[in-house]
Amino acid sequence: MNMDVTVASLPRLNEKYSMFSRISDDIGTADFKFLFSAKDNLTSKDMETRCGSRILEGYRPAFDATAIEKMRISGGKLIGKNNMDEFGFGTFSTNSAFGIPRNPFDPERSCGGSSGGSACAAAVIEDHVSLGVSTGGSICCPASFCGVYGLAPTYGRVSRYGLIDYGNSLDKIGLISSDPGRLSEFLPVISGKDRKDPTSCAQPDLNLTGKKIKTVAVPREALEGVSGDVLSAFESSLETLRGMDIDVKMMDMPFLRYAMPAYYILATSEASTNLARYVGMRYGRQDGDLTLKFDDYFTSFRSEYFGDEAKRRILLGTYTRMAGFRDRYYAKALKVRLHIISSYKKVFEDHDAVLTPTMPFVAPRFDDISEMTPVESYSADYLTVPPNLAGMPHLSVPCGYDAEGMPVGMQFVTDHWDEDPLLTFAKDWGCAFETRRAEVLL
Amino acid sequence: MKIGLEVHVQLPTLSKMFCSCPTTDADTPNTHVCPTCLGMPGSRPVMNRKAMEYGIMLAKMLDCRIADTVWFSRKTYFYPDMSKSVQITQYDNPVGSGGVYRLNGNKPIGITRIHLEEDPGKTKRVGDQSSLVDYNRSGIPLAEIVTEPDLSTPAEAREFLKQLIADIRHTIDLPDDGERSIRCDCNISVGKERCEVKNVTGLRNVERALTFEAVRQTKVLKAGGKIERETRRFDEERGVTVSVRKKEFEADYGYIDEPDLGIFRIGELARSISIKESPLGMTVRLVREYGIDEKTAKQMVSTSVDLAKTFEKIVSATGSTQTAVSWTVGAISANWKTFEAAGGDTDGIIDIMKRFGGGGMTDVEAGIELKAYMTGTDIQTVRDSDSGLDEIIDSYLDAHPEMIFEIRKNDKAVNRIIGHVMKETGGRYPSSDIVSSTMKIVNSKI
Repeated sequence: MNMDVTVASLPRLNEKYSMFSRISDDIGTADFKFLFSAKDNLTSKDMETRCGSRILEGYRPAFDATAIEKMRISGGKLIGKNNMDEFGFGTFSTNSAFGIPRNPFDPERSCGGSSGGSACAAAVIEDHVSLGVSTGGSICCPASFCGVYGLAPTYGRVSRYGLIDYGNSLDKIGLISSDPGRLSEFLPVISGKDRKDPTSCAQPDLNLTGKKIKTVAVPREALEGVSGDVLSAFESSLETLRGMDIDVKMMDMPFLRYAMPAYYILATSEASTNLARYVGMRYGRQDGDLTLKFDDYFTSFRSEYFGDEAKRRILLGTYTRMAGFRDRYYAKALKVRLHIISSYKKVFEDHDAVLTPTMPFVAPRFDDISEMTPVESYSADYLTVPPNLAGMPHLSVPCGYDAEGMPVGMQFVTDHWDEDPLLTFAKDWGCAFETRRAEVLL
Repeated sequence: MKIGLEVHVQLPTLSKMFCSCPTTDADTPNTHVCPTCLGMPGSRPVMNRKAMEYGIMLAKMLDCRIADTVWFSRKTYFYPDMSKSVQITQYDNPVGSGGVYRLNGNKPIGITRIHLEEDPGKTKRVGDQSSLVDYNRSGIPLAEIVTEPDLSTPAEAREFLKQLIADIRHTIDLPDDGERSIRCDCNISVGKERCEVKNVTGLRNVERALTFEAVRQTKVLKAGGKIERETRRFDEERGVTVSVRKKEFEADYGYIDEPDLGIFRIGELARSISIKESPLGMTVRLVREYGIDEKTAKQMVSTSVDLAKTFEKIVSATGSTQTAVSWTVGAISANWKTFEAAGGDTDGIIDIMKRFGGGGMTDVEAGIELKAYMTGTDIQTVRDSDSGLDEIIDSYLDAHPEMIFEIRKNDKAVNRIIGHVMKETGGRYPSSDIVSSTMKIVNSKI
């Protein structure tokens, strides 16, 4: 498809799918080699950046995120900013202030979250790559629900300069595409040391040598609580893997169950401090009642413009770091994280990767989501949270479809900095597995 | 009475602590700012290495244990001048802890910790209805030095601060811009409970605020009242402290680690940094090491740290502390200003003293050579102008043997000899020569 035609069709596509919160005004695509989109928590000079939040309405950053800048330098045109859960807080992209992205396989279902708009764009737009961000599973979850490939690299592989923070010790910028080859093509583009983000400066070089995954460990714990549809697609994929000469072993990994509580404590603790800066001054919305005293001004402002989930996470995260509770929650969660990292490393002594389904169920319907309690929706992340907490690279690939044609995904985790075998596998899997494209009707 | 101080020192880096904005004064508000110090979403801090080095230098000066690994923390509170509503500071692992500062070179004042943090911006009240915020100061690096409550009076606290600041200026080459770059939180308790007076600027105000607090607390206790733990501020104009908030309303800062900066292994850096000896530290060491009296040590150090260093070299060259003292406070001191202004090399002085110590020349010859070398004059000229001076002093002392006893009691008595010789010689000799010859001869007799 011609790039100009694609760009011209974006407004209509977006009406149907709500995958963008902003589309580029400049429709010319001359001088560009490829099109890309970026989650709306990555700053862009040419487009408003709102993170799915009303509180950032009107924020026009003075600088490009490093990942966006690098994509532009290598010939990319940023066509739009992807819709998302407010500040990344969610699993279904239903917590956005700017419409809810609709699943390309069934518009009554969720795209997953929080990079729902990025996965939707990758599934719907021909030959597209989008930048997503994962804190606790926000790349793999929507990739799985939308039947595309998603890669969250090692923490620190891609500079976070220009990423509007959710949990700074967890946030990772990655890639989503329907074409697995795109992941290997663009990971080298966006990764690398960046002086503007010190946590990117400890990384070893990224060497893509075509290293293969030969042995995978499947944790028995991961299969408990997985829906029947997902389980049968996953198990038949295991057979395919064995056919590809990959040794698959079942294992006990009891440490995985501690990841969820530790993750939510650390993520909300950090989030509550990151969100403290939004007080209705300097950027975003600033139209509060100036006759109020400062405390009343920012309180009324935050009450009005933060969504419910943002407020919930601010409360949780403020509680877990309060004097008197800090040691019991925050400090303990830091220790649990170290334990989980070292437990993973032990598994990697004898195995190239850990494999699980990506999500315990296929993309749910919006009416089912509205019935879920916060704890139920947080629990949906129990397979994606452990590698995110450990900062380890992980990949979701489509691995089957349920009776209604909804995609199922599986997730590979490798050791820190070991993205190479994930990317090799993605390409091999692209040949071995027949991916279905969603039918896009306009 | 127990007093403890928290001293904030602005570190003399060229750029801010976490961004490259300049730290110099700006004419216009909000011009020395960038996305990082404005806390714009998506911006990120990057550590200024120089700030860390200054922190280590101060930790060394204060004899602190220096942590091998340090990191930063987030202190969360809402205030318009704090652009991120989060201050990057150190909570768990400060640069230095468990140090000591010797007041007057003697009384130990415990140093609880020294940590690094960023300064917030400034809020300026405009009329009744509004305030303006200037972020030019936002992100300027600060070191905070926290003492134990080891100070016993407001006057002592002031003296401590005075000496501490002088040492800090010397150690990190902090420009002397009055007391602007030093701010202080003062904790004081007369009874059991303490109050904190926040953000006092200047030595005099520290003493005034503490004195006011001491009197206020004493009155409350005498009247049978109770001191409540609280934060107060000092009203400079009225000279009183005023309650700001009670303890139960203290903010809970909810400290967590700052993930964006990572951790710093500073052990090796700390070992590679050596600091200049402080003037006070040097005085104390000279007394201890050479057994000279404190007054002499102070006199040498206050003339010039380099003069005191020259003294040490002479001791090692001649093997005699006494010789070194008498020549250093005598002829060498007398000609020091000229010598220093001309940028002279002390090796020449050591060389002369070595020859003198080896018995190669007399007192008089050594005096002449020193003067010639230090003032850049040729020896014959000095000899001509000097001749007769020693004789005049000697004959005066012969006529007044009681002078030596008096000088032993009170070394100011030496001024009487100098005064007499000046009068008698009527401007024939420069006063520095008269002083140096008198000191030399007197020192040889007492």
